[in-house]
Amino acid sequence: MNLRFPSPEFDDAVAAVCHGLASDEQMQSLNELLRTSSAAQDAYLFRVELHSRLASETDLFATTACALSVEEPRPLTPILSSGGGEGERQLPNVLSLPNRRRRMAWAVALAACFVVLAAGFALWLTRPAAKGTTSTAVAMLTRAVDARWGQNTGLVRVGSALGPGWLRLESGLAQVVFYSGARLVIEGPTELRLVSTSEAICPTGRVLAEVPQPARGFRLKTDHLNVLDLGTAFGVDATHDRTEVHVFQGKVELLSGTAAKQSLGEGQAAVSQGNAPPRLMAASAVAFTPLFDFQQRSLVSEAFRYEQWQFANAQLNQDPSLVVHWDFENLSGSDWTLRNAAEKNRSVPEATIVGCQRAEGRWREKQALEFHSVNDRVRLTVPGEFEALTLSAWVCVKGLDRQFNSLFMCDGFEPGTIHWLIRNDGVLGLTVFGPKAGNLQITATPPVLTLDKLGMWLHLAVVLDGKARQVVHYVNGAPVAREALKVAPPYRLGPTELGNWNAKSGPNLDTKLIRNLSGALDEFELFSRAFNDAEIHDLYVKGRPD
Amino acid sequence: MPSDPKPLNGDQAAVQQRFLSLFLRSEREVFRYVAALVPSVADAEDIVQQTALALWEKFDAYDPAQPFTPWACRFALNKARQWIERRQRWQALLAGGLAEELARRREELRPEVERRLAHLEKCVDKLPGEQRALVEGYYYRRTGIEALARESKRTVEATYKMLQRVRHALQRCVENAAQLEEATP
Repeated sequence: MNLRFPSPEFDDAVAAVCHGLASDEQMQSLNELLRTSSAAQDAYLFRVELHSRLASETDLFATTACALSVEEPRPLTPILSSGGGEGERQLPNVLSLPNRRRRMAWAVALAACFVVLAAGFALWLTRPAAKGTTSTAVAMLTRAVDARWGQNTGLVRVGSALGPGWLRLESGLAQVVFYSGARLVIEGPTELRLVSTSEAICPTGRVLAEVPQPARGFRLKTDHLNVLDLGTAFGVDATHDRTEVHVFQGKVELLSGTAAKQSLGEGQAAVSQGNAPPRLMAASAVAFTPLFDFQQRSLVSEAFRYEQWQFANAQLNQDPSLVVHWDFENLSGSDWTLRNAAEKNRSVPEATIVGCQRAEGRWREKQALEFHSVNDRVRLTVPGEFEALTLSAWVCVKGLDRQFNSLFMCDGFEPGTIHWLIRNDGVLGLTVFGPKAGNLQITATPPVLTLDKLGMWLHLAVVLDGKARQVVHYVNGAPVAREALKVAPPYRLGPTELGNWNAKSGPNLDTKLIRNLSGALDEFELFSRAFNDAEIHDLYVKGRPD
Repeated sequence: MPSDPKPLNGDQAAVQQRFLSLFLRSEREVFRYVAALVPSVADAEDIVQQTALALWEKFDAYDPAQPFTPWACRFALNKARQWIERRQRWQALLAGGLAEELARRREELRPEVERRLAHLEKCVDKLPGEQRALVEGYYYRRTGIEALARESKRTVEATYKMLQRVRHALQRCVENAAQLEEATP
């Protein structure tokens, strides 16, 4: 379509853009026109401005605004209901914005964000901003569906920070996130007493608890049992004379008044009634189905993970041994440089993206870089010599098309350099080149990237330890191969590529020399020291998608 | 004695309040900045929401000596870029550096835009009843287009067309008013 200005077609295209209904063709021809005609560009901007003014300037409908404000609730108040500081006094003014729907979304999104902040503090206690938080709150209400709260429960809404005390949910579902990181979904009727950031009491009701690693040691008490969580997901169904505990993941410890300490593993359940010792049975998720569904559907919890990851990165970026950290955030179509997020070591200021597509990463909001064609690559130069190196990447491998599929490979076969790659049979390999030509060591894992792992986000890491003289490969935080290292330090990287390889030998005619990756990467880290197993596991936990 | 759960108190609440207060004052401006790139209202709101999250996250880096709105708009531009990159259609509209060009030109046109749009309220007031009800329903009450079409017994398409016409009328009205103002000594 060839668009002219002025013309009825132009008018229609602009209107369609405003209504979010423009066709691909309209979009494209508008682009061409606006880039070449300044008159069309100005007319477009004026029209769009009028449209966005109508959508945002509520004073335009002043008379209606007054009439409506009577029935309009103020959904932002839960976040703001404390204090009465300067900010709040000014709020009535700005709260005259329209659109209930939008503001509800706000409240939820911001509430999630605030929780993350709190959780971030708990997880990364050294984060400086944590100083000075004097709140007595132990948890936050992050989600509620059809929730009816008991009269004795104070004003609770999504986004409310919760101090120690009783929550009485008469009906509906609600999610409470403790500042330790533990997440409880409760289904009414449930009575829950919040005790601390890692303890709650539930005399009656149904609770589904998800306790991530950092919140280990979370306790949930009923009238009969004391459940100590050891990093799991479990459900509790409690009445005054009977308690059931079902373990869906990990392990819990049970303490009851009469019996000795007892541990319950995945798939096990226990029922405790009266004074009798707990009786074992198989775990059943049936009673907790609505709670699971609620949890699953929780978009907020996904945003939560993403934000948590961002907070964890803020901490990680301060590590002086972090040489390169690409989080692939803020990628833009026109920008071919990749910013290094490492803050203490600036020896690699940035890298260059060649080709590659932008794609979705581990979370909806997370960006990734997709490698597909033989040209796609990220090029960088890492100066210096190293005693040890740790490489870590979040990868979604689409296929193992080449005999060698590059993760991170130094150019050519230079002394002291490395090639980190995946072989087409699913073996992870790190090749270390010795001081003389032909002198090299290939360290390899068993075939770990099996077909069922393709298309999934995986955490891959490798540690090259010159001091302990070993190479360790990891998949999702667990070691998969450990091999003695014969090549002595120092190691070098120099000109290097992520997702591809520069053979340095003219045109890559030999197919063995074509080593482009087929898949997406959404995080890469390079450290100048050897990480131990626990540290690699922490890296994995930091980035785990859920 | 356990008390009822209390809303959050203390420093963190104060920071949240300061943030919300600043943000809500800038929200319309940020929205319009985004809408210049992505005019579809619901989409622009999405982007503004993502911007708010990013701003809050980086709020400790905000220098209170600097004005908040330009700081917020920088984040908004970034979020808009990210958003656009994932949508081919919008990429097609804004490709070839048009996004940056529009943002720049919009800034240049600002005095003229303000001069014209100063008359918008008057012009909205002057709209015939049915037209006014339509813009009010669509822009202020955010009633869905299907419901508006039902109310006015039109087809959805005709309703969109009518909206377009009302905007056109408003545009002429503000332009005339601005010209008149210029002509009056």
